[in-house]
Amino acid sequence: MELDWSVVATALPELLAGARITIVIALIGLFGGSAVGALAGLCRVYGGIILNAIAFVYVEVIRGTPMLVQVMFIYFALPLLVDIRIDPFLAAVIAVVINSGAYIAEIFRSALLSINKGLSEAGLALGMPGWKVLTNVVGPLALRRVLAPLGNQFIVSIKDTSLFIVIGVAELTRAGQEIMATNFRAVEIWSAVAVLYLIMTGVLSFLLRVTEKRMRVL
Amino acid sequence: MSIVQFKNVTKEFGSIKVLTNVDLEIHKGEVVVLIGPSGSGKSTLLRCINSLERINGGDLIVDGISVHDGKNKVRLIRQEAGMVFQQFNLFPQLTALQNVACGPRWVRRLQRREAEELARDLLKKVGLLERADHFPAELSGGQQQRVAIARALAVKPKIMLFDEPTSALDPELRHEVLRVMQSLAEEGMTMVVVTHEIGFARKVGTRLIFMEGGKISVDGDPKVLLDNPENPRLKDFLQHVH
Repeated sequence: MELDWSVVATALPELLAGARITIVIALIGLFGGSAVGALAGLCRVYGGIILNAIAFVYVEVIRGTPMLVQVMFIYFALPLLVDIRIDPFLAAVIAVVINSGAYIAEIFRSALLSINKGLSEAGLALGMPGWKVLTNVVGPLALRRVLAPLGNQFIVSIKDTSLFIVIGVAELTRAGQEIMATNFRAVEIWSAVAVLYLIMTGVLSFLLRVTEKRMRVL
Repeated sequence: MSIVQFKNVTKEFGSIKVLTNVDLEIHKGEVVVLIGPSGSGKSTLLRCINSLERINGGDLIVDGISVHDGKNKVRLIRQEAGMVFQQFNLFPQLTALQNVACGPRWVRRLQRREAEELARDLLKKVGLLERADHFPAELSGGQQQRVAIARALAVKPKIMLFDEPTSALDPELRHEVLRVMQSLAEEGMTMVVVTHEIGFARKVGTRLIFMEGGKISVDGDPKVLLDNPENPRLKDFLQHVH
């Protein structure tokens, strides 16, 4: 078969527009997901019975169901249940927040638990209140350990945004699909789409490596 | 004047009784050395004093405050009772100086400059001023433990608790820690020391307590007890640690 790479050049503006939406969804979604995840992780470790149980159920439900089903549920089922309209973009962002939040909660939980108990005892023995031990001793150490697995989750979540093709969000994969439908150039277009994802994840993993190097992991 | 008072204290871990009806009064200026076989409750007794272990029965009063008086009061107790751990437990992300300065800054609310000045004085006292900007991982075990002693002193406690401070150290590093502890005792600091260092007990201790099975079984003058242990189990124990 003959390849015609010039179609990529023609399609590039549309693909880049799709990539932009992918980035925006991932950025907002992961920002929210990190906040939700950090909070849920803290609840799992320090939350007491009730908060711990809520966080536990959240994590188990989200980890235990496919993201595709979660997206469908948020976009198609949720509006029926609570009688609101959700546009596809918002549904996508919510899906990333909720989905990545569950995994990030586990990342924070394991990081907090990995910090030597003797260090919090040392802080408490100095007369520090518990929250100060968390913010000044355990937290800074746990944050360093969160970095590598958090980067991993960010990369997974960027790629997972391709699932939003099913609810018609004009992200990168959807853009590729639409161009494909008009010119049938599968090899060229899907190669270009794959390269664009690689560039996004590549930049992210480079930034993570730089940050990790600058932060001494203890 | 008594600074620590155990009144009929019991402590359980699940169904296991670790301390059984302990009565003990520790006076200002005493250097109490706690010895006993492992599992006898000596570390637990020490950790009850600053509420790292909560007691299950009886009452425990430190510097006029009961451990039952609530969270905020317990924090006051902890500020009056400095603790040194077997594993040092220095904060690894902070330098020696910052480790010592963090108590004054975070607990006593001193300004950074004042706190670091105090920290420098204390590092000098434990002979580590030139190591002020090193991180714990860059220090030997003996140096780390001396920094840990300085860190505990920085909060200006009235009593110092030592939980096997030399057990994690190589023999040649122990003496530098013991020397710091001795000079502290000579300054009149009230100290409770869980240790296997019988030489320290004899030379520095003003009181020796032998624990077994969660109870205090011998309590007296270290020199008398060590030279002539009448209690057969203490005698047996001493033969094994010597």
